[in-house]
Amino acid sequence: MVQSLNSNVCEERIFSNIFKTLSKDVHNFLRYKYGDNLNPKDKVQEAFIKLWDNCKNVSPEKAKSFLFTTANNMMLNEVKHQKVVLKHQQVKPKHYTNETPEFIMEESEYMKKYQRALGNLTEAQREAFLMNRIEGKKHKEIAAELGISRKGVEKRIYGALEKLRKEIDGI
Amino acid sequence: MKKELLIQKWLDGEINDAELTAFKALPEYASYAKLSEKAKLFEDTSYDVDFEYGKLNTIISERRQKTATPVKTLNWLKPLMRVAAILLVGLAIYYAPLYGDTTTVKTLASNQTTIQLPDNSNVKLNASSSLQYKKGDWENNREVNLVGEAYFDVAKGSQFDVNTWLGKVSVLGTQFNVKQRVNYFEVTCYEGLVSLKYKGKEIKLPAGKSFKVIGNEIIVDETKDSLPSWSNKNMSSFKSVPYSEVIQEFERQYNIKVETNNVDMTQLFTGSFALNDQELALKAITLPLELKYNKENKNKIVLTKE
Repeated sequence: MVQSLNSNVCEERIFSNIFKTLSKDVHNFLRYKYGDNLNPKDKVQEAFIKLWDNCKNVSPEKAKSFLFTTANNMMLNEVKHQKVVLKHQQVKPKHYTNETPEFIMEESEYMKKYQRALGNLTEAQREAFLMNRIEGKKHKEIAAELGISRKGVEKRIYGALEKLRKEIDGI
Repeated sequence: MKKELLIQKWLDGEINDAELTAFKALPEYASYAKLSEKAKLFEDTSYDVDFEYGKLNTIISERRQKTATPVKTLNWLKPLMRVAAILLVGLAIYYAPLYGDTTTVKTLASNQTTIQLPDNSNVKLNASSSLQYKKGDWENNREVNLVGEAYFDVAKGSQFDVNTWLGKVSVLGTQFNVKQRVNYFEVTCYEGLVSLKYKGKEIKLPAGKSFKVIGNEIIVDETKDSLPSWSNKNMSSFKSVPYSEVIQEFERQYNIKVETNNVDMTQLFTGSFALNDQELALKAITLPLELKYNKENKNKIVLTKE
């Protein structure tokens, strides 16, 4: 039995390390699942405050699952069947422009449809799909992070892609 | 079934050339490619780990003060504790250089500080940054860890490394500035030669050049300054930098929260703002973009596009 030397996360060095490695993942996880309207950044802060309050009872190995569970529960308390909306960046302004107004219109229409279609995915599909496409995480990594099988991840991402395509292309 | 397998391999980045050709021949290929490309636009690039950590730290230290209940101690305990504390500090000071413990210097928002390293090199640390080095073990461990922004004036003939989690900068008697944010990394060399490692590649940066990474884009630029403007002119300067970075720098320098309304945070900004006059600085970053600002309270400013 290997006993951990750092039995809890009260020490500032450990706590700040945990924040620096995990906070962005927690943030992205909440965002993908619940969208931008429920202030994922604030929930990350609240979850870490809760971790600090309970620091004596949480070992560094448990911190990750503690954070994800706490943050998720905080979100669930607030979700009142809101539509999930993820904000997107404007298409980068170019120094030159050879794009016709029609093209620019079509692109912005496309992004609107995309946003709606993302909102219509299941939480599980959206989460896995965006972890893969935005953060470029491998199927194996996502499976480990979500605690599901690799097959399950593949199914979710593929399902998401097909559903998005059908909805956006209007088939 | 074949198609599903192809797509899954493509999504996981494991597809080989023959499979890729087959995948590209699918009638739906263009749709998939566009979906995948545009998904990246849903990224929230505004999440700044250092900024969020600073925010959390303020909340926690406030709570710490509140929860520290004023316990009545016995009269003899207090003087005894004082003696113990003095002894402890004395011991710590005596032993610290021997054990080569890590020294950390941190600056809060709207603060700057200057540090002298054991080899007489000077480091100027900008707001909300931290620098770590091994004081006692400097001879074997000539490296510093940096989070945030700092200007280094390295003593002649002294070599050391600056580690940031975006890249590593190695120096040999020179003057340079390192700025490291979540989606932004900049190294500017003012004198001598700097060698930096970014994503496994080694780049040599001569005096008067600066190396910038914005998102995934690498830009090599020139500078005419002899010192970073934040250290000698009391200004923060930017050249073709996303507006979001400018806002975050403003928040760090004035320890204030800025919210934006309908403002394009990706547009590139060239200009500077003063570090000692908030009103003037606000004008400098809003007027060129035709933005309006409104001070909601002492800690919050809202910028609006008309």
